[in-house]
Amino acid sequence: MSNGITDLFNMSKPDKKRYNDLEKELEIIGIKTPNICYQCSKCTSGCEAMKLLELKPHSIMASVKDGFIDEVIQSDEIWDCVGCYKCLERCPQEMSPVDLMYIVKNWYVSSGKQIPGDYQILLQNILSTGHVQTPLDINDKNNKNCNRKSLGLPEMKKPIDQQNFTKTISELAIEGLI
Amino acid sequence: MKELGLFLGCTIPTEQYGYEMSIREIMPEFDLKLIDLDNVSCCGAPLRSINLMMQMYLSARNIAICESKNLDMYVPCSQCHLSIIETINRLKNSDKLREKISKKLKDAEDLDYKGNLEVYHTLDLLYDKIGIKSIKKKVKNPINWNIACHYGCHTVRYSDIKRPDRAEHPNKMEEIIKAIGGKSQDYSEKLNCCGAPLMITHKDSALTKAGEKIKAIQDRNFDAISIVCPFGGRMMDSKQKMAADTIGEKINMPVFYLTQLVGIAMDKKEDKLGLNLNLMYEDIVDK
Repeated sequence: MSNGITDLFNMSKPDKKRYNDLEKELEIIGIKTPNICYQCSKCTSGCEAMKLLELKPHSIMASVKDGFIDEVIQSDEIWDCVGCYKCLERCPQEMSPVDLMYIVKNWYVSSGKQIPGDYQILLQNILSTGHVQTPLDINDKNNKNCNRKSLGLPEMKKPIDQQNFTKTISELAIEGLI
Repeated sequence: MKELGLFLGCTIPTEQYGYEMSIREIMPEFDLKLIDLDNVSCCGAPLRSINLMMQMYLSARNIAICESKNLDMYVPCSQCHLSIIETINRLKNSDKLREKISKKLKDAEDLDYKGNLEVYHTLDLLYDKIGIKSIKKKVKNPINWNIACHYGCHTVRYSDIKRPDRAEHPNKMEEIIKAIGGKSQDYSEKLNCCGAPLMITHKDSALTKAGEKIKAIQDRNFDAISIVCPFGGRMMDSKQKMAADTIGEKINMPVFYLTQLVGIAMDKKEDKLGLNLNLMYEDIVDK
């Protein structure tokens, strides 16, 4: 990362420690350093969230490379990622903007801020039932109500010791990758 | 008869019943016995944005449950399949992660994680394990439609780890469609995303993505869409009318799970394949 730059919007300086932590977390999950990004923008040209939401992975990479990690964490952009993995697939340097954004979102969440969208509900459902949702009653194309039983499907499997499951997963909430 | 541990994840057994029914209906015909795994939970994939440790723990947990039965795993959901293959890979490459997660699994739930099992998806199970020849032998009622194949992002990416098909030029589904009597061609939007993950934060954008892709397929005069991922089913079939409204277009495109199409070709009964659950399916069978 480069030194001596100042973000003239809020006069912030690059954060070397944060950058090093990010590099370490990426290394643990087998992803290369953001430093190797040479801004070819191939990630952005293929990005599924670019056309509608104007997510630009290469510009996130540029901010990260310059050490402005907090600015990236605060940006709403990181929540626009679809997770389609085209950026990772096509990066000529084998860097992974999508995994970098996952780590940055994890940091946002662990800082105690309000989690956007329905993520909070997803998490609560998993903690209380083991799954993101319980079996729904649905209508078929003739508007007939159907459920697992009426369709002849066996009961859905779930964690046997739900209490212990909830406790274990909750404990992980405070765990980082390092 | 080979036994496989069936891991359905969350979306298939709670709403995409047609996928589950057709899987249970056709797989035994190919000498595969599916064993429902007790005690399983979410694969963790939806929690990637919240906490990667949680995601890997949940994937490793389900892997360990399957390994405790000495079974290989069949994971028909592409998102679950990616999360599970990715976790096996990450724990293999990092001693630190493996030790941390195996210790937690042992201490908290008395589970032993090894990460040595085979993990199949519908696509590689049909194409590689069962094979085109065996599928052809079972065809009694060739389908004879022109099918657009929608693979889904997580089915094919990313190629650093083992995926059911190639990332940029997948063709296993087309081959299976041809084997059961259908036709299929490439189309420019083939690798486009269905928008499903955006439903969590940007519903309109998600529905726009789905609508635009289905519209493009319809404009190319395909008879139907074939999918192998429950999120494709949710976005392209269950929410097709909403997607059409969102982009302000008229769309009416039947969507089938590949397993349903194989079932139709095998002359299985409609109600056993859950065809009445496909909201956009009308009289294409008589076409």
